[in-house]
Amino acid sequence: MGASKLSGMQKQVLSLYRGFLRAARSKPTEDRKRIEMIVSTEFRHNSKEVDRKNFQYIEYLLRLGTKQLDQLKSPDIVSLSSVKVVASKT
Amino acid sequence: MASGLIGRLVGTKPSRLTTAARLIPARWTSTGAEAETKASSGGGRESKLKNFQIYRWNPDNPGKPELQNYQIDLKDCGPMVLDALIKIKNEMDPSLTFRRSCREGICGSCAMNIDGCNGLACLTKIQDGASETTITPLPHMFVIKDLVVDMTNFYNQYKSIEPWLKRKTPPSVPGKEILQSKKDRAKLDGMYECILCACCSTSCPSYWWNPESYLGPAALLHANRWISDSRDEYTKERLEAIDDEFKLYRCHTILNCARACPKGLNPGKQITHIKQLQR
Repeated sequence: MGASKLSGMQKQVLSLYRGFLRAARSKPTEDRKRIEMIVSTEFRHNSKEVDRKNFQYIEYLLRLGTKQLDQLKSPDIVSLSSVKVVASKT
Repeated sequence: MASGLIGRLVGTKPSRLTTAARLIPARWTSTGAEAETKASSGGGRESKLKNFQIYRWNPDNPGKPELQNYQIDLKDCGPMVLDALIKIKNEMDPSLTFRRSCREGICGSCAMNIDGCNGLACLTKIQDGASETTITPLPHMFVIKDLVVDMTNFYNQYKSIEPWLKRKTPPSVPGKEILQSKKDRAKLDGMYECILCACCSTSCPSYWWNPESYLGPAALLHANRWISDSRDEYTKERLEAIDDEFKLYRCHTILNCARACPKGLNPGKQITHIKQLQR
């Protein structure tokens, strides 16, 4: 009967994503595309890799994302950049 | 109030060192372990092993948090829990993550839950005996990694009470200090010593259930510090700002805060003082 109801956590993830895209809109055009690319790859990668039931990790990522979004919203910040690091076995 | 300074007998240390230094070169040809056991005073050097169960969670390899076991020889380690943690990190597992700075109980970085009680790792002695010691991060706080917790909410609550001097009138002698009698200065004792380690707030069950709305014993202790300061002129406004169902009155005098404070302060008493001022 229509789309399945989204859980509270899923709504939080979506609103964080929306927040990032809205913050990207306030930046100059070239940086805006870069921000959108980084954010969307990060979210899509995590949605595939992270187990739906791993609440602790999802909440950790949400808190991390919210902090990064607050930094991004500030007018001094111009753009995001991303570096790929190969995780070593700890 | 406990000052945390430990007196040391300086006289005995150097002489012991020199005798040991003289013994070891004579036995240089024998194996190092033998020399160590024979060089120490008294009988054979048995190792006093102790198990530490430490909370581990890695956000890079996220799974379920676990208690990992480490065994340490207490003869080879300093007396405090922080010494044990540093020894584990240096020799056994470099990935163990924890905050630390002053190692003398003044910075408040190493606050964690040791054997069920909140305290500073640099001030908590390792309990002698064969029993295991369990070390976990501060309870009901979001964990960033291993024993490191997210303190932003705690710091924001401290910021929200405006912990600085606010005046309406300029000082009586412009450019000079605002004078305060000894009696008025004595009113601040028991509050200015707070190091914001968060041991008290994270031991309060009321704070566990309402961490965002209840300010917690640490922030309220500082609120009382500014309310009781005779030099501050915004007392009425400060009292009104926290006169709230949630900010102040979630305190039900559980008094876990006074038990947990590593500096020996009593936040519960200060909160009662604020409640009495609220009329």
